[in-house]
Amino acid sequence: MDLTFSAAEEAFRADLRSWLAGSVPAAWREPGFWAGVPDGEGFELRREWERRKFDAGFAGIDWPTEYGGRGGTPGMKAIYDEELALARAPGTVNPLGLAFLAPTIMAIGTDEQKREIIRPLLRCDVIWCQGFSEPDAGSDLAALRTSGVADGDDIVVNGQKVWTTNAGHGDRIFTMVRTEPGSQRHRGLSMLLLDMHQDGVEVRPLRQMSGATEFGEVFFTDARVPARECLGGLGNGWSTAMLLLSFERGASGISQYTAFRKSYDEIVRAARALGRDTDPVLRQELGRRMVELECLRYHAMHVLTQVERGADLGAESSMTKLQWSETYQDLFETFDDLLGADAAVSTPVAGLDISALQSEGFWTRSVTIWGGSSQVQRNIVAERVLGLPR
Amino acid sequence: MFFALTDEQRALGETVRAFLSGRFDLTAVRAVFEDTAGDGHPLELWKSVGEQGWLAVCVPEEFDGLGLGLLDAQVVARELGAGAVPGPWLPTVLAGEAVRLAGSDAQRAELLPRLADGDLVATVALRGAGGAWDASGVAVTARPAPGTVTGIAAGSNGFGSEGAGGSDEPSGSGVFGGSGGLVGELSGTASPVEYLGVANLVVVAAIEPGPAGAAPGAGEVGLYLLDPGAAGVAVRPLVGPDGTTRLATLELAGARARRLPGSSAAALADLIRRGALLTAADQAGVAREALTRTVHYDRERIQFGRPVGSFQALKHQLADLHVAVTMAEHAVMYAAHALDAGLDDLELAVAVAKAKASQAARDATAAMIQYHGGIGYTWEHEAHLFYKRARRMYGAFGDPPAHLERVAALTVDSLT
Ligand SMILES: Cc1cc2nc3c(=O)[nH]c(=O)nc-3n(C[C@H](O)[C@H](O)[C@H](O)COP(=O)(O)OP(=O)(O)OC[C@H]3O[C@@H](n4cnc5c(N)ncnc54)[C@H](O)[C@@H]3O)c2cc1C
Repeated sequence: MDLTFSAAEEAFRADLRSWLAGSVPAAWREPGFWAGVPDGEGFELRREWERRKFDAGFAGIDWPTEYGGRGGTPGMKAIYDEELALARAPGTVNPLGLAFLAPTIMAIGTDEQKREIIRPLLRCDVIWCQGFSEPDAGSDLAALRTSGVADGDDIVVNGQKVWTTNAGHGDRIFTMVRTEPGSQRHRGLSMLLLDMHQDGVEVRPLRQMSGATEFGEVFFTDARVPARECLGGLGNGWSTAMLLLSFERGASGISQYTAFRKSYDEIVRAARALGRDTDPVLRQELGRRMVELECLRYHAMHVLTQVERGADLGAESSMTKLQWSETYQDLFETFDDLLGADAAVSTPVAGLDISALQSEGFWTRSVTIWGGSSQVQRNIVAERVLGLPR
Repeated sequence: MFFALTDEQRALGETVRAFLSGRFDLTAVRAVFEDTAGDGHPLELWKSVGEQGWLAVCVPEEFDGLGLGLLDAQVVARELGAGAVPGPWLPTVLAGEAVRLAGSDAQRAELLPRLADGDLVATVALRGAGGAWDASGVAVTARPAPGTVTGIAAGSNGFGSEGAGGSDEPSGSGVFGGSGGLVGELSGTASPVEYLGVANLVVVAAIEPGPAGAAPGAGEVGLYLLDPGAAGVAVRPLVGPDGTTRLATLELAGARARRLPGSSAAALADLIRRGALLTAADQAGVAREALTRTVHYDRERIQFGRPVGSFQALKHQLADLHVAVTMAEHAVMYAAHALDAGLDDLELAVAVAKAKASQAARDATAAMIQYHGGIGYTWEHEAHLFYKRARRMYGAFGDPPAHLERVAALTVDSLT
């Protein structure tokens, strides 16, 4: 066991930390800050901040320098995620592009795609949406029906996507479309890189149960995309999508731990303000949550070790997803338990405002749905890891 | 960053596993389990355990050990759990840790080589029946043995704090009589103590009198090396459901024993943490084995014309168990490393590992019974061997509620 980072990695941490100290405004670090800023305004603030971050060289940490990245190690990426969480830096405005699209393009994109897409994505000049889910194709992605028909050098797209994160802010969307009419299931699909600023694309915001409008519906009516803006080749959409989704894994567990640990501390402070931190039953529950959080941290170090050695995590990432999402959700059930009747209001006692925690608690209801629901992850673990029959 | 077992550590695990499956499989385990009148200590197995060096893992090389650490020991413990293996490996290793960490040079030189090769069977007696797993649970008291140099030349509590001095031998056969040390007279009980019936060395925790004029109970904690053959020692065997160990009550009435000079309440807490860690490792092994056996069975067992393992109700619970067992394995590895390396969060790490592994072992062995159906409830089936072992270890060195409270104390009360 060696749980330390290299000298170069620690030097990187020091640089980053001092840059963050001067760059994240104090107000942003207040727990409820972002809840008080209107969605659109907050998005632009974050986008601006990310540009500054890019210009300072703190973007694309483990990406090759040819794409505007820093060419760092997986350990540096883990440190980066951790330090951002520690500094209460805002989450990225381009999560789907950064996590999924960019690595897929680096792996299988054309030279032109690599040249034109990655750098603007990293600088958040172009915001990317992921258009996979449809009203009748959620967990069962292969049931999708949005169609793409060749017309000259273009493909003409018709259909609907739903629950599309950042739909209201998106510039482009990587979307799964059935390009072979009459094809079934996994065959005949293509991943298209479509411009959302055109007449054929209509976005309707959807309000989430938390009250935010982070996602929306996207309607395609004769929307056009040049055929060369297909990623991974026409008809290869399924394998492209599988490759793309495989990038979900990685070293993110450490930053999740850091962020959730902050939430745990906030919850403990609320318990204290309410005089419930000495309740033996609640202490058992808090203890249980901390056990799972610590396990997430250890697991994240294990995953990082595998990533550093270039091991293929495969279905193990389903385990990571289950551990972090279920732990995060359970933590906020404990929050509800300790609030008891006080959950009815957002300021249960003078000096204690729990509205930010309450909306975070609502958010946790979503984390076991997106990115492969817990049920789907359990199927994967049971079938691909344990080898139980279908 | 390297959070994983090394190739050597993995190879050690494979060696233990291969040895057990060839030489001490579940048929052999069952024979010991059912032989309730026997001592639960198969000698052939013990000899091999000694020869293979599994007792020597934590013993420094200068004392004929392997000079490794708990991270390596947990590899062995996991395999012993996976095999539901009987025998005093764990208590002997733990007693060795007490000697290594709190013993004098002379005590180490005398005892560690004999603990490392299996010449001595040892155990630990740290807690009275029903007590907590800390100094407050100790139900043995010590006082300076009359007539020893120690008793006279003592410090404020009558014992002094150094290992030099004692000249009298504790009475009895004196397997460890040559190494000197202060002598105390122990009275009280400890229970349940593992493998007391076959041990020739017992590490006993005892409360020592506080400084003159101090409130009762304000004393130090001493760790003593007791010869169970000494005068004033009685061993009362206990009956319990798990036949993969043997348990007894230790009764002491003025029995003489030598003090480990590094004794303190902190040393006792450290020893209990090591016990909790090794127990958690055993449980991680039990849990993994129970899960694996269940998965294998449910892949093959046909009902309603299909393998029962294809039913999603089973799949999802087994998947959750796989996650839980994996987390327990990681937690045990981390805690072992934390103890070896003296990390700041070692206390939290051990509490996390024990709580997680105990729960995982209980859940996985319960699922093993449930997802085997009726056959899993029979005496002939191996499920109950694992279930009963898991159940026994659930409480050893602190049950999950106790460790969760510890976690809360460390993360709730200490938050600023
Ligand atoms: C906050 C949020 C953001 C999102 N962002 C995006 C985005 O940017 N782009 C995008 O394409 N999509 C996005 N989604 C959609 C998300 O991917 C889907 O919601 C998800 O795939 C589940 O599909 P569904 O909603 O149709 O539920 P369904 O698939 O209909 O599932 C309903 C229930 O059935 C369970 N279930 C389904 N299949 C099985 C099975 N085989 N076995 C057992 N149980 C099963 C599910 O777990 C769930 O509990 C987002 C969703 C949320 C909540």
